[in-house]
Amino acid sequence: MSAEVVIGAWVAVGLSLCMYSFLYKDNPFFKFGEHVFVGVSVGYLLTITYYQVMTNKLYIPMTQQGKRWLLVPAFLGLLLLARFIPSIAWLSRISFAFLLGISSGLAIPRQISSFILKQVEGTLKPLVTVGDGGVAWMTWAGLNALLVLIGVVSVLFYFFFSLEHTGTVRRIARVGIYFLMVSFGAAFGYTVMARMSLLIGRFDELMLYASASYGYATPVLLVAMIVGLWWWERGQERKT
Amino acid sequence: MTDFVLRLLRLDRRVIFLLIAVATLLPLLYPVSLPIRVSPEVQRVYDYMEKLPAGSLMLLSMDFEPGGKPELYPMAVALLRHAFQKNIKVLGMTLWPAGAGIAEIAFTEVAREKGKEKGVDYVFLGYAPGDASAVISMGQDFHAAFPADYYGTKTADIPLLQKVRSLRDMQYVMSLSVGFPGIDTWYVYGKEKYGFELGGGCTAVSAPRFYPLLDTGQINGLLGGLRGAAEYEVLLGVKGKAMAGMAAQSATHFVIIFLIIVCNALYFLTGQARGRQR
Repeated sequence: MSAEVVIGAWVAVGLSLCMYSFLYKDNPFFKFGEHVFVGVSVGYLLTITYYQVMTNKLYIPMTQQGKRWLLVPAFLGLLLLARFIPSIAWLSRISFAFLLGISSGLAIPRQISSFILKQVEGTLKPLVTVGDGGVAWMTWAGLNALLVLIGVVSVLFYFFFSLEHTGTVRRIARVGIYFLMVSFGAAFGYTVMARMSLLIGRFDELMLYASASYGYATPVLLVAMIVGLWWWERGQERKT
Repeated sequence: MTDFVLRLLRLDRRVIFLLIAVATLLPLLYPVSLPIRVSPEVQRVYDYMEKLPAGSLMLLSMDFEPGGKPELYPMAVALLRHAFQKNIKVLGMTLWPAGAGIAEIAFTEVAREKGKEKGVDYVFLGYAPGDASAVISMGQDFHAAFPADYYGTKTADIPLLQKVRSLRDMQYVMSLSVGFPGIDTWYVYGKEKYGFELGGGCTAVSAPRFYPLLDTGQINGLLGGLRGAAEYEVLLGVKGKAMAGMAAQSATHFVIIFLIIVCNALYFLTGQARGRQR
């Protein structure tokens, strides 16, 4: 095992334990991990942006491929920074207007087509199918289509506020609430599943780094963390 | 008895953390094989990959960062194994700046395992900045979107990319997405315009959001969370990280369900006592 891999493992284990120490209570180890994470993230993002955007997409095409027109977007990008100088802050509006125009023009038709028209098409499916075997009145697919239709209509009723929710409207809106509750339940179930997966992933790596080939990083740092927390706790008690 | 139940309801939350930790750790230390049923949405991705002839081009966009690694990395590994087994040529990339390092490790490790050559069997292009505009740019001119690969080699000099002009040349695009940009971006700005087949993999949190796209055929299949990855491993017949994690997942779910039921039952049973205490 190379030294850089082992050092990487120790750093990963140390920072993971720092973050998990918050489950005990807010403490200096957690704060340290948090600050390191913020700093490293920003540093990494800046480096990636510098190489992948400024160098690969701007400098190299301009200097080696003669794409001088890239000066225009570069200049528009610079104008965005004018926001930091109050006297010329208005200049940034030119870039914002450009960005807004381009993004709206790109997004609005695509989003309407993908998420409204296509979804409406998916909602309005035939309940009765006619095939070679005759007319099929109630199939599983038909039942699903009916459920989707009832769900969509009743939820739309629930979010329709121009009519007072009384009588039939109230009853349909109530059905909508049940559909919403089922969807929230499903979403929450999936969220729990996702969070547990993250925990499993982390534990899996902590177990891997507990082996001799990584210098027993996990047990050593776990003991160090417990001792550290105990020492910090004692310090806190003395202060009070 | 009531006092005991009330004390139980005021239990330190750290005890629950400990229970979850134990439920996660035990199945990882002592693996138990639980049956995993393959869902139709995962089966569809597998079947589509199976039908692709050798030499087809697949674009695997690993649109995630370290936060999504436990769920999406096993998916990437399983898909890459399948693609390389079928001699499908794979182009790798990411729309997330922090995803390039993880994606590169997945490509390098699986390629080494399957004896595949960089530039001939696969290409790793790295991070494409610009979200939607990156996808549009790839659709218009692939080489302009990626003048060089992740390692700095000019894409014009890479044998595998000689015939690639745009996204229209892809037989399959898979986006493993942790959020936006991800599957939506590939569908809205890619598939709609350039007409390739699109499949998706996502974290369990975002899975419910993509089921409507599956229903309308906007994506042809979906791998949802660690479970989706485990199902794919079952289809491949390989016991990977996802399958190993499923027993732990089941154990933690069992603990959570148990705690929800017990706590709710105790809460309602002690209604009067709580009222008196107030």
